[in-house]
Amino acid sequence: MAEPMELLCWGGDWDLPSVHTDSLIVLRFNADYELTAKQGADTMAYIALLEEKLRPALLHTFWVDAENYANLTRPWFTSHSPFPLNFFVPGRQASLALSRILLTKAESPLLNITEVEGKIYSEAKECLNLLSHRLGNFHFFFGDTPTSLDAFVFGHIAPLIKAPLPSGQLQKHLNQLDNLCQFCNTILKNYFTDASAEKRMDCSPTATHDPVDANLQKLTQLVNKESNLIEKVLARPAHSLLNLISLEITIPWLKMDDNLRSSPQHRPHRHETKPSALASARNSTPS
Amino acid sequence: MSLAAEAFVSQIAAAEPWPENATLYQPLKEDQILLSDSASSLAVQTFLRMCGLPVQVSCRSNAEYMSPSGKVPFIHVGNQVVSELGPIVQFTKAKGHSLSDGLDDVQRAEMKAYMELVNNMLLTAELYIQWCDDYTATEISRPRYSSPYSWPLSHILAYQKQWEVRRKMNAIGWSGKNLEQVYEDVSQCCQALSQRLGTQPYFFNKQPTELDALVFGHLFTILTTQLTNDELAEKVKSYTNLLSFCHRIEQTYFKEHDRESQSGSSRHSKGSLP
Repeated sequence: MAEPMELLCWGGDWDLPSVHTDSLIVLRFNADYELTAKQGADTMAYIALLEEKLRPALLHTFWVDAENYANLTRPWFTSHSPFPLNFFVPGRQASLALSRILLTKAESPLLNITEVEGKIYSEAKECLNLLSHRLGNFHFFFGDTPTSLDAFVFGHIAPLIKAPLPSGQLQKHLNQLDNLCQFCNTILKNYFTDASAEKRMDCSPTATHDPVDANLQKLTQLVNKESNLIEKVLARPAHSLLNLISLEITIPWLKMDDNLRSSPQHRPHRHETKPSALASARNSTPS
Repeated sequence: MSLAAEAFVSQIAAAEPWPENATLYQPLKEDQILLSDSASSLAVQTFLRMCGLPVQVSCRSNAEYMSPSGKVPFIHVGNQVVSELGPIVQFTKAKGHSLSDGLDDVQRAEMKAYMELVNNMLLTAELYIQWCDDYTATEISRPRYSSPYSWPLSHILAYQKQWEVRRKMNAIGWSGKNLEQVYEDVSQCCQALSQRLGTQPYFFNKQPTELDALVFGHLFTILTTQLTNDELAEKVKSYTNLLSFCHRIEQTYFKEHDRESQSGSSRHSKGSLP
């Protein structure tokens, strides 16, 4: 087909003219430059899979499950939100999460969350298994370089791996899938821990350490250009790290990097987006 | 249903072979059924035909209420009722008929991913266009949806359904989109499908799978249903391999059954209005 050929030629130019609206968005990214059209299509499909199967369970684990919410999520958010937002932002997020799960997953007679729980967790486990099969023994989903799909998957599973959840059946399941844990750790190691030392001092987005920051920039820019992903990004914990627009938020997050193993990797962007806390709450609605 | 209930049901399902009098229920074809329901129903019918399982289609005005999950279509097989393509696929698998046995794990993952893509994008776009676009909702969706009922019930039911769908769109973040963006999403989805299909006859080369059934159901319905404008159909038509895919499946699986009923459904335009 003519279209994919043109897209591959224009891959280097990130600002594709909007006339070419029928191009897959992902193919605009530099990181996805080497993806074939088919892989771009696969990316879209896998993203849809994650959204549909994994996201409700993640939302449930962090926001709806009573033990997790009371012991982990809410305290973290209240401690990281400035007054007076800490009173209502976590509650609002929780109710948004609950309503999203119920509306999309619950069949209308069952408006009770407990009946939906079993279903969403089993779907999420299946989804994780599918991802694990797809990843196989590779470092990244499409060979040796990261792409937007890797960023997306990472954004979803990283908090699940790292957060110390009191009751985390999904987490246990994920820990059994070695290659996904490996994948997550690889990305963390390569793209985030090295940058932390610099980022502490350096507020500018373009730091000087070339290989790591080139990759970090690549990853951040790829998420930047994806307007769809960005809306989701603002609500996704690890993705917020990749958002150049609000890069200063990565500083508090990366400071936490020392306690990487012990503290929850949650939405530090609350710090930065506090003037638009409502906007971020609105933003999480589109996600 | 809970996992234990599901396991129980599939055990029962496995016990009996597929009966001759299996029935598929959907809303009334001429007057009531809407684009999204019609697409889902056609997908299920295609899947069952691909499996070689006979099923009779029965149109009822209250099909939605009869369904155990509130969604159409649903099938009544023996003494069990199963709705929606996903559970139906599992049900037929328990009975020993499956289209995706030949796939390995990676391919199965891909297949599920693409099915989710279609559900996420195409189905949601269809729902959006039907219920969130005011013009379409007023001209087509509400009158059709409530056609079997008399006033004031028709009024109430139509608005209730619209409210439900809009609430769901809100929850998943589609309420902020406008129609152009929705068409754009459909186009991208079609491009992804088109690229995945390439020049193969089916998505997983030689054998059709439930993904083929689902894609066919949606695309064929989009192509043959008339809405307030043709933009949605145009988006799909621009991908020639998808068009030939639809033709091929229609020829293979529907031609021996009366073609009139298929072309009848294409003649029946929901948009008797321009």
